[in-house]
Amino acid sequence: MRDLYKRLGIDQAASDAEISAAVEACQHTALKAEASVVLGVKSRREEYDRLHGLLCDIGRLRARLGLTHGQYWLDSAANDFSLAPDNDHSRHDALVSKVTQAVALHDSVQRWRRHAPWIVAGGFAMIATTTVAVGFLAG
Amino acid sequence: MATTRFTPFELLLLKSRNQTDTAALLLLTWVAASKDGLSEADRQRIAAMSASMRHGHDCQAILDIGSRQDLDAIQLAAEVLQKDRWGTQASPFLRQAIEIGVTEGKLAAGTNHILRFLADLLGTSPQQFAQLYRDVAGKPFDSPEDPSREAYWQAREHARQQQRSQSEQRQHEQQSHHRQRHSQNHAGGSRQGGDRSHSAKTLRALDILGLDAGATRNEIKKAYRRLAQTHHPDRFFALGERDVASASMRFQKIQKAYEYLMQDARFI
Repeated sequence: MRDLYKRLGIDQAASDAEISAAVEACQHTALKAEASVVLGVKSRREEYDRLHGLLCDIGRLRARLGLTHGQYWLDSAANDFSLAPDNDHSRHDALVSKVTQAVALHDSVQRWRRHAPWIVAGGFAMIATTTVAVGFLAG
Repeated sequence: MATTRFTPFELLLLKSRNQTDTAALLLLTWVAASKDGLSEADRQRIAAMSASMRHGHDCQAILDIGSRQDLDAIQLAAEVLQKDRWGTQASPFLRQAIEIGVTEGKLAAGTNHILRFLADLLGTSPQQFAQLYRDVAGKPFDSPEDPSREAYWQAREHARQQQRSQSEQRQHEQQSHHRQRHSQNHAGGSRQGGDRSHSAKTLRALDILGLDAGATRNEIKKAYRRLAQTHHPDRFFALGERDVASASMRFQKIQKAYEYLMQDARFI
């Protein structure tokens, strides 16, 4: 499937008026005829948009998973919906780093909890000694 | 430190006893949801398939995430599958995906693209996958339909028209029976029909020509010519008087609809 929006040079969210203007301005006669048949009718455009959205998603997935040159990614779909490969968006790595962070947080909380009784006891002892000392001085 | 908040699917994956099965289940749900939303039958089929998997958590949660078609969750699932690569398990999974994707022998264009993606993801070659598809669906694996072409819409309109003319003929026969029995009742109905608004009449005329509300003048002309040719009474001359009469009724109906639409200001 071809990306008619891309070929007409408009945004996917373009209004009907923008589309008809772009179709009018189009120099390529075959594309002009087909774009008006597909995008000019509301029900057809809705169905086209659904598939268009899905193909955009698949294009993004393929770029992120390194499948931009898969054997089944051919013809016009691959031409129009391929993106440059990017390895920065690995969800699995993100998940692993999230888990490590969560584990680190858990560890530090545990450490604090282990030391908490001593700290609390120390605090109490301090307060007790000061009150005794104050009482002794006052007495 | 940045806050670590897990998405619902990540939580499920962490709780799961077998991450690969959880990921596979989500991708199957994606295939099912790509058809036309997640139907009840598909939910049951996926639940039945999940019975043999070892994920050990509620399958309903996965179905809910999958029906939302969350791209991040799908990417994560695909990465999990890709990491495990699955060797021998790849073809049973693809088999399940095909079973879910094909309804009544038909494969929607979107589902077709998804199946292609899954085959590439699991490193299955096109030959292997085509063989697998033929085994499961009993048909060759075609290239996906292309709604960006005019031919796709013409073929669809044509198929719909044929279906409609068949059902119309059937309806027509039923109606003639009906009319004989309840002639008074029917007269009341037709009076009601006359009260309808202008646009309803236009829509009905378009319906007779097998078009929808967005048809252009050119399309009306084309549809009229095609229908007039197929329903012209002269074509039925050899079949007997009765067929000629019914054809001429149909032909008149088509002609009236066309004439009505042509004098309608919106189609000029």
